[in-house]
Amino acid sequence: MFDNPVRSDLQRVRGRATVGLSSKGLKTLHQSGSAKALLPRVQGTPEVVFLNTAGGVTGGDDLSYALALAPDTEALATTQTAERIYRSTGDTGSVTVKLEVGARSVLSWVPQETIVFDGAALTRRTEVDLAPFAAFLMSEMIVLGRQAMGETVRFSNVRDARVIRRDGQVIYRDTQRIHDDVLADGDNPALLDGARALGLIGFFAEAAPLHTDALRAILAHHPVRSGVSGWDGRVMIRLLAEDAFQLRRAVVACVEMLRGAPMPRVWQM
Amino acid sequence: MSTIDRLSLVQWLSPAFPVGGYAYSHGLEQSIARGDVSDADSFACWLRSILTHGAGRSDAILLCCALRGDNVADEARAFCPSSERWVETIDQGRAFLAVTNSLYGEARAPAALPVAVGLVAQCLSLSGAEVAAIYLHSFASNLVSAAVRFVPLGQTAGQAVLNTLHPMLVTLAEEAEHATVDQIGTSVFGADLAAMEHEVMDVRVFRT
Repeated sequence: MFDNPVRSDLQRVRGRATVGLSSKGLKTLHQSGSAKALLPRVQGTPEVVFLNTAGGVTGGDDLSYALALAPDTEALATTQTAERIYRSTGDTGSVTVKLEVGARSVLSWVPQETIVFDGAALTRRTEVDLAPFAAFLMSEMIVLGRQAMGETVRFSNVRDARVIRRDGQVIYRDTQRIHDDVLADGDNPALLDGARALGLIGFFAEAAPLHTDALRAILAHHPVRSGVSGWDGRVMIRLLAEDAFQLRRAVVACVEMLRGAPMPRVWQM
Repeated sequence: MSTIDRLSLVQWLSPAFPVGGYAYSHGLEQSIARGDVSDADSFACWLRSILTHGAGRSDAILLCCALRGDNVADEARAFCPSSERWVETIDQGRAFLAVTNSLYGEARAPAALPVAVGLVAQCLSLSGAEVAAIYLHSFASNLVSAAVRFVPLGQTAGQAVLNTLHPMLVTLAEEAEHATVDQIGTSVFGADLAAMEHEVMDVRVFRT
């Protein structure tokens, strides 16, 4: 329904949604502009669902989402739908995600996929602060183009950065860049290797590397190119797929295994 | 002095310096096994990708940051995308500093290889661009040597690949000289995956 946006450059989207949770429930909730946070009533682990009511991001937009978990709190956060990054007429869209996980708390950050349209320009920065003994699971999916429309992305300026700190010390960083020259060489096996959908999953917890073999066994049954590596209090999974559907199935299998619980309702396909 | 400084740098980054670089293929062994790298052209393409969109550019920036005194030791470890990449940069960095600590009577704590080189090179009267260019040349040369042995390529064909990369190495090093850690970013999705796939190869000659 949002596939043919008609928006003038002057209508820049601004939005900020901030949520604070403790083991007793909601502590703080601030929402402004087109960013919203929903807290569906669920059994088990509390869920926070972030939503961009503008239906997508274009050049010059500025959205930020934040979630803080107090000590001894468990939660899952996701997004209502796939985030569409529309063609930009010049400026870069900005999305910022700030997550704080208190001591002994467990946060799963499993947004739905980001769909990059031809000509998109996006800078996304995900910053995560973990207190001692906090555990953190993240998954991200980037899909190049609207596949139902057979779209090929030839131009984009996407910079997707993650920084994870534990006790103030940087323990994980990665910035994925998807620029024109990488897209022009799309079949290069060192770069996109012909993939239209990219996935990254990371689980940060003392015992996380112990899941490495089980994750490899699960992914062996999926028609995606996958790699799993565990070291130094983390297990990382990288995925390259021909399409979004195959990628999503692989991500769901890994996240469900690591959480020991089904995906949130908004993820149901 | 700068000629003597240059000789020190060449010594540190030569294959004879005992950091054991020959044991690491940066995922090339897996890329050869997959058939992604099978001749001089496909190897040149792989190496160019690694240099411009992967560890080449990232390491050059980390090195230049460390050289000018930024504390990037944690960042260098944090940027490792997989277990074997971590081993590759941490073990070589540790071996590098063990030798230089002994040579110069220093007591530097272990650091990832580009950070280790940047820190020790602070005593040289050389620019970041020059140190980074020679570092990148050493990195590329080590991978050429692996490719010559295991693709396999002719010795001359391997050197021809390296020779054509010289202008690119200089450009990367010059761009890295004033870059910050926030400018690090990679697009080597397939090569990073190959480094993970290497962990489960049945028969492996290289550690990475």
